[in-house]
Amino acid sequence: MLSLTITHQSIDKWKRRFNALPPERLVLVLAVVLSVAATAYSFMHGYITAYGDAESHLNIAKRVIDSLTPGFAQLGGIWLPLPHLLLIPFVASDFLWRSGLAGSIVSGAAYAVSSLFLYKLTHLVTKSRAASFVAAAVFMANPNMLYMQATPMTELTLIVFFIISSYFFIKFLEDDSDILSLVLAAFFGFCAALSRYDGWSLVLMEAGVLGLLYFPWKRFPARIAKLRENFDLQRYKKMEGRMVLFSTLAFFGIALWLLWGYLILGDPLYFTHSIFSAKSQQQNWLVRGELPAYKNLLMAFLYYLVTGMSNVGVFWFLLSLAGFALFFFNRESKHRFYLLLILLVPFIFNVATLYSGQSVIFIPHLTPVNFEWRLFNVRYGIMMVPFAAFCVAYLFYKSRAAGKALVLALFAAQLALFGTGYSKVITLEDGTAGLSSAVAKIPDAQYWIDRNYDSGLVLVDDYARTMSIIRTRIPMKDVIYVGNKPYWEVSLKEPEKYAAWIIMQKNDAVWTSIYEDPVVQGRLFKYFQKVYTSPDILIFKRNPDVTAG
Amino acid sequence: MKHKYAVFILILLGLFFYSLTLKGILGNPKPGDFKGSLDQVTKPLELSPERGRFANVLALADFHTYDLGQELADAVYPDVGVEEGKFYSLFAPGVSYFILPFYLLGEQFNVSLIGSFGFVSIISIFNLLLLFFISRKVFNLPVWASLVPPMVFGFGCTSWSYAVTLYQHQFTVFFMLSSFYAAWKFKNMRRDGEGIKHFPHKFPRPSALSFAPLRIIFRIFPYICAVWVWLAYGLAITADYPNAVLLLPVVLYFVISSLSVLKEKDKIIFALRPAAVFSVIVLVAVGGWNAYHNQKNYGSWKRLSGELVDYSTVLQQGGLGQSNSQQVINKLGEQKGLQTFFQETNLPFSFYTLTVSPDRGLFVYAPIFLLAALGIFFARKSFSGEMAVLLALVAADVLLYSSWGDPWGGWAFGPRYLIPSMAVLSLFIGVFLAQAKNFAWSRILAFILFAYSSGIALLGAVTTNAVPPKIEASSLHSHYNFLFNWDFLLKNKSGSLLYNTFFANRMDLKEYYLVIYAALLAIILIVLFVLPRSERQQNSVKLKDQNVK
Repeated sequence: MLSLTITHQSIDKWKRRFNALPPERLVLVLAVVLSVAATAYSFMHGYITAYGDAESHLNIAKRVIDSLTPGFAQLGGIWLPLPHLLLIPFVASDFLWRSGLAGSIVSGAAYAVSSLFLYKLTHLVTKSRAASFVAAAVFMANPNMLYMQATPMTELTLIVFFIISSYFFIKFLEDDSDILSLVLAAFFGFCAALSRYDGWSLVLMEAGVLGLLYFPWKRFPARIAKLRENFDLQRYKKMEGRMVLFSTLAFFGIALWLLWGYLILGDPLYFTHSIFSAKSQQQNWLVRGELPAYKNLLMAFLYYLVTGMSNVGVFWFLLSLAGFALFFFNRESKHRFYLLLILLVPFIFNVATLYSGQSVIFIPHLTPVNFEWRLFNVRYGIMMVPFAAFCVAYLFYKSRAAGKALVLALFAAQLALFGTGYSKVITLEDGTAGLSSAVAKIPDAQYWIDRNYDSGLVLVDDYARTMSIIRTRIPMKDVIYVGNKPYWEVSLKEPEKYAAWIIMQKNDAVWTSIYEDPVVQGRLFKYFQKVYTSPDILIFKRNPDVTAG
Repeated sequence: MKHKYAVFILILLGLFFYSLTLKGILGNPKPGDFKGSLDQVTKPLELSPERGRFANVLALADFHTYDLGQELADAVYPDVGVEEGKFYSLFAPGVSYFILPFYLLGEQFNVSLIGSFGFVSIISIFNLLLLFFISRKVFNLPVWASLVPPMVFGFGCTSWSYAVTLYQHQFTVFFMLSSFYAAWKFKNMRRDGEGIKHFPHKFPRPSALSFAPLRIIFRIFPYICAVWVWLAYGLAITADYPNAVLLLPVVLYFVISSLSVLKEKDKIIFALRPAAVFSVIVLVAVGGWNAYHNQKNYGSWKRLSGELVDYSTVLQQGGLGQSNSQQVINKLGEQKGLQTFFQETNLPFSFYTLTVSPDRGLFVYAPIFLLAALGIFFARKSFSGEMAVLLALVAADVLLYSSWGDPWGGWAFGPRYLIPSMAVLSLFIGVFLAQAKNFAWSRILAFILFAYSSGIALLGAVTTNAVPPKIEASSLHSHYNFLFNWDFLLKNKSGSLLYNTFFANRMDLKEYYLVIYAALLAIILIVLFVLPRSERQQNSVKLKDQNVK
């Protein structure tokens, strides 16, 4: 018999040591270590600004403090402002701006705080340190999360506010006399609503849950005539008070944004239907017949389910489904439906936006092979990681010793699947090779301008992503783009007035306004000389011998 | 019905039905007989899996080499790989080696093909017996209910088609079930003098046995079981490489079973049974042989047959005649790694194809397996570790082959990769029937579903496995699932050796089909409706006798 003997004394010693560890500090330290390691890895491999959107976020923040026309108007009216506001202190440093590390700092901090509050949220429900640690571990060890927290993308900013708001809201549900928690839930909901549009559905759902919690009828009245019967005035008063308290703060962000759109851009709903809106972009896919989830609820559901699965990891996802079922049918937990509704907000929101054509996801698991692109926007699925982490932890909490061992074994097995490449780090894949990628399609013209740019203002259509500004030596304050009034508008008619360089890409705004208009084109060739030509991109440099008349 | 009669009847049934549908021809085929003759639809070597493995056996027996040579390579095309100018089948080598003695035996009587295919049928009969034993001993089902799983697996699903020709699936099932059964035996075996008091015992203490040889056998029995678990695992891998993952639940079960935890007053003892540790040498030996085989034939001990460069690809690149052909092969070889075989991205589509698609869906070909879900549900209250292991085997099989890029299994009849799952799920059908409260209706439902499933299974067994996937069938303007086989039945085209040799002149294929089908339905009627009654009567008589005593 091969045996190993452990005395109860030594077990007790280890137990005491474990219990003496401050778990929240441990989670925070682990999260910071993982965050720094993942960011260093991404930095060394050039992954931080791999996404095209990553640079756009950095540039928006940079322009607020350092551009031809600095100011808060540079925040624009499409992307919500909070992630950019958080970036501002860091993009002041050119190194942090160009390397993307400014974004890594914000997302990394959000990642660490998210890990901590996910631990606290799970502890709130399970009262188990081990299960709460499992939740934090599933969240922290997720390679997609580790990659995204190294980038300036806005997902982590939303996730942190989403988790904190949910935490305080659930805390309030547990004890509805804890008004401070409700106020904090509303405040972080306000932050989430100013981070990404998913946040709007969070505050809506939280308000809806409040309505359900204090539903003033014991039974839903069958007829209008019976409305007065069974009506509980006290509950109604409670609902009214708490709803007003919550909504005033939580929806204030949304109201601010609508007001901003009206004041700056003349249209409160500018973000939904301007040419820069997501919906306008989806129209191109629709015309090509490549919007598979549009008006197809099953496909919208499947697309987001599979995207969520791919972001979470197959085994962890399956475990989370088991945990979800266990939690759903556990009658001991009084507010389980409300809690699940809140954690499932990203799922509901994304299915709805896919269905309505407001967003698009291409994932190779489902996208037909004849589509031009089969990998796009898969990062939306990362919002399912907190939900999955909570459900896995709940499964762990409810399992016996063998079940716990199985959960841990599958946790390790999933890491192995990521390690062997069976499960790809799909957000990184999209950033480096998908349609979301900037690095997959760096034009030769970018290298050329980096080598040859000397000084002077550069007219370029930044929205069309003709080239990357952070990867060239052009200072932000020397760029004329669509947000620089009046430089942009004037330059499209009189290009020689401000610009020393003009970079245009076939069919972008500069090309159509200057190159395709015979009158303006005449001015272009009078004052500029073509210094770079490629099939898609032309670069003009101001002719120093010809002065503007 | 007594246990031993049931075993005898199962052997008879296996011999009867498998003989009637066994594929093959009389005589000893030579390499020249493959092309244009034996490789035609309904002929014994109609598809490359059986052709490739049979060619290997032929090369080993007649030419004493594993290299196929040009003539056999052309015959086996397209599943041929190239290494150092030699040709090898892309399939794992194990099955060909297992078959070799039976090929040689058959060759002596001028029936080498029947000898080879017949051995697969013998293994399939062993599988029926193993299912019966597991039902009886592990699940404690009554005899009649224990006969259902072998009936369903043997004759009520598409595994039948692969029990009468040369595929790896029945070997996989044999190694899976036998290793599970051996591990279960090992777990439940008590050994004297080891102080493992906590092992549940269903066997007498060896010291209690008066007959000395029996005492010795009982003493070494745990070692025999342990050796078999490791040996079966090793051999299963040589039969089909993915079995390394597929059989992992059994290996884990065995390892965990060999562990014991003794809680004493002041200490905890973790003990490992030495039989489980020392027997691992068998696995090392099989692994060593495999490594030697790979080194000798494929150029590297860790290179698997599937990683060889396809002959078809080499031909597309200009063939072996060119001066740089080896360089081309090396380059192509680098592109073909293990990690490319299984990908998470295949999951949704392959899972759909294997389970519910009209093309290859398990529940379309054999809806009787829907009852397995009910069996699992019924078993939830008495859920044991063994059930968990068996379900883990199903999960491993489904996950593994849902990650496979070719879920159809090429041209094939039904979801052939799910044959191991069919074996396990059939056990739960037995559980369902034994535990169903509405006795009559559950059996009527089982009969109806069996009638449908076995009708389809028999259709494949008497005609062909060369059924194209839907995507190919549409370009060929033919049916794509069992309707394809129906056309063959109507055209009187059979793959059955007995029918083609002895019955074709006496009856048409439809009559032959109906005779077998009627016999099968009569037997399942007896199993479902007659045996339970007689078993109950026997039990009540026994009970009365005991009361009288």
